[in-house]
Amino acid sequence: MSTQSGIKKQVPYLFSVLKATAFSTYKEWAAYRSQMAVTIFVGPVFFLTQMFIWRAVYATRTTLNGLTLEQMLTYYGIISVIGYLTYDSADWDLQWLIRTGSFLTFMLRPVSHCYYAFAQKIGHRLLALWVELLPIYLIFFFVFKIPLVPAEPGWALLSLTFSFVLVFLTNYCIGLSAFWLTKTEGIRRALLVLLDLCAGMLIPLTFFPTGMQKVLFYLPFQFISYVPTRVFIGHYELAGITLSIPQVVGLQLVAILVMFALYRLLWHLGIKRFTGVGA
Amino acid sequence: MKTNLRIYLAGVKTALASRMAYRGDFLMSMLIMLLVEMAAPLITFLIYENGATFPGWNMYEALLIQGVFLLGKGIAYPFFFGIVWNTIERVREGTFDLLLIKPKSVLFMAIVTAFDSEDLGKLIGGVTLFTLSLKRLPAPGWGEWLQFFLLFAVTLMVLFGYGLIMAGLGIVWIGNFRVYDIFSSITNFGLYPTAIFSKPLQTIITLIIPIAILGSVPATVLLGRPSAGTLGAVGVGLLFLLFSLVFWQWMLKKYTSVGG
Amino acid sequence: MLITVENLAKEYKSYQRGNSFGEAVKSLFVRKPLYIQALKGISFKIAEGELVGFLGPNGAGKSTTLKILTGILYPSSGKVDIMGYTPWRDRKSYVAKIGAVFGQKSQLLWDIPPIDAFYLNKAIYAIPEREFKRTMDQMVELLGLGDLIRKPTRQLSLGERMKCEFIMAMLHKPEIVFLDEPTIGLDVIAKDRIREFILEMNKTGVTFILTTHDLSDIEHLAQRVIVVNHGEIVFDNSITTLRRHLGEKKIIAVSTVHPLPDLALPGINITNRISPFQAELELDLTVFELNKFIALVNKTSTIRDLSVREPQIEDVIKVLYQLR
Repeated sequence: MSTQSGIKKQVPYLFSVLKATAFSTYKEWAAYRSQMAVTIFVGPVFFLTQMFIWRAVYATRTTLNGLTLEQMLTYYGIISVIGYLTYDSADWDLQWLIRTGSFLTFMLRPVSHCYYAFAQKIGHRLLALWVELLPIYLIFFFVFKIPLVPAEPGWALLSLTFSFVLVFLTNYCIGLSAFWLTKTEGIRRALLVLLDLCAGMLIPLTFFPTGMQKVLFYLPFQFISYVPTRVFIGHYELAGITLSIPQVVGLQLVAILVMFALYRLLWHLGIKRFTGVGA
Repeated sequence: MKTNLRIYLAGVKTALASRMAYRGDFLMSMLIMLLVEMAAPLITFLIYENGATFPGWNMYEALLIQGVFLLGKGIAYPFFFGIVWNTIERVREGTFDLLLIKPKSVLFMAIVTAFDSEDLGKLIGGVTLFTLSLKRLPAPGWGEWLQFFLLFAVTLMVLFGYGLIMAGLGIVWIGNFRVYDIFSSITNFGLYPTAIFSKPLQTIITLIIPIAILGSVPATVLLGRPSAGTLGAVGVGLLFLLFSLVFWQWMLKKYTSVGG
Repeated sequence: MLITVENLAKEYKSYQRGNSFGEAVKSLFVRKPLYIQALKGISFKIAEGELVGFLGPNGAGKSTTLKILTGILYPSSGKVDIMGYTPWRDRKSYVAKIGAVFGQKSQLLWDIPPIDAFYLNKAIYAIPEREFKRTMDQMVELLGLGDLIRKPTRQLSLGERMKCEFIMAMLHKPEIVFLDEPTIGLDVIAKDRIREFILEMNKTGVTFILTTHDLSDIEHLAQRVIVVNHGEIVFDNSITTLRRHLGEKKIIAVSTVHPLPDLALPGINITNRISPFQAELELDLTVFELNKFIALVNKTSTIRDLSVREPQIEDVIKVLYQLR
């Protein structure tokens, strides 16, 4: 059998796995939609605090760090919406599988666990799309009057997709650390906090001291939410560096490739360790 | 009272022993518990660092509010706020029953079995932030300290009330840890000077839902410029505690009539 | 009487919840209450020093009864008097005098040795140091645990953990101990040891009430059996009476050379007709004598093989469980 026809068979197969997994995850989580819907309350309340903080800060000035009040609020609006779109718990799920050993059952399946987990994420986010994202979007748009319309829809969509994949790969790599650490709660949470901070979830990265901005520019974290937010707004800037939208989205793709390589490496080493111990 | 204290200490001891089984992770978790609370102080710091302000407040005054807030959380989380996760987890796993076969009140047992050592990180953070910012501010007099401690006692009572309501919700809303998200979203208002909010919102967080009492009400007393409605906030705080106790009893009654 | 239960009833009210989104939304406004009769007014008495086993299929009302007796749940109606207490009303003072082991709910703490958990109970029940030591040593000895109580719980086997659960539940010397499936998932040796322990403690005057699905628990332990089904007591008597409950019956398996005759005769109850040549049946000896049965079958079909056995306790239980 030539590889050509092998691939031809492989693609519909992988797609059907994706569809089936995503669908079953969707149904599984639909039972917990009331928990998910808590976001409809929590999200806007958090945003309300942000609004008052920045209103107070801007009371005596029109721009701060080159941003107007409206731009600032738009930044927070977009970044939280992106958060709901790209969130996943791949790290937690994976470390649980590894720690309990249930991970072994995946070694017997013809699809890699990573692919399976990614399909799960798609199913989970599809549910979140109407339970969390849509209501939040409408509240932000109509109640808070945040102009949540991308400057260049095509690029924004591409950047969001990249972010979706990148968040998954990053979390998956964090989850893989369970191969080496017996109890990973602490480290995992540390990484997640660091991630929030370095990805610009708390405050635009341009607020950090210049030296730190330079470091952040070379770290992959900015591509998770800072970059897509900037692409959404239509203007990218960090550490005094301004890049065009296609350039920065291109860099995002590079970040994905790097993260994917890291995943393959960790996976390889982890499996070796897993089977080596004979657990 | 003495036996109860002995029981509580025995609970703390077993919880510490359990946690020490994973020492490395414990220290890391403690650090993280501190770091996750640093978001608001960091934002505040960066705002002032970039030359902006909350009008009428210098940075240390704003940080003092957050220090008081964190101090309250730092005491509540390790020592009694664990009733929230303890109840949610036990109800979900069916082990809540085990608290009911002990010859003490269920609430007391829920507190005894919920000491959370890693949250001591929050306490360390609270003490640090509180003292660091107070050092940069004019020293409060004795009277101000006295008022502060009285108000701070109410802060702790209100936090206990929140814990009771969340734990009570955990009995009927099975396995839902998102009560923590709800809690942190509404109390987020308490991290900043009350004056930055709109007038109606100020009234809501001072005199309807006790949020300002968690930070700015006690902190402003130390700054020598008490917030408007301080007395009202105290009254609301005490009523809130009363309400939460009734709510907890009500939810408990629900549990004992359905049985998990 | 140590325990008196009269007309104990428990009705749960739950709400029907729809599966589809539309139904879920609708259920926010109109909710159809659904009443479930878990207990339909049961009565029994238990004397001091008895060892009583509760049997019943899943959902029969066993756990509900046990939860009410331990003060965890309050009933819809009925009276319970245990040592002068009403469990759900006098919960705190009452539970100080009882112990409970739940096979599926551990009171130990996973990451620390059982002995540390024992100390927590020592504080909760305010047990004096000397008495605590004496009771603990005695039970550790009886269960053959040795130094295992000083190893982290997570390193113990299921059987060792269950033994520790017993110590945990009995350190304060309860007069009554409730056991909910205490031998679930244990190996034969651990089961034996725990049963010996229960019998030993029972001799010292402790009353035990246990629920189980393991009939050998009942056979080894209980002098008295209460069978609950559909919220009612369908049997309450000694284990020997339970065995004889089906009357003078034999269980017969027969296979023949020629097809079996139509066996629909009084006194014969076919439980399983495997093929035209093979069947299992219950024979009521008061109606149909054994030699006549054998003669009949041999004449019509020529017996190839035949076995006769006493009804097992399982058979009796099956009959009781199937009662409507």
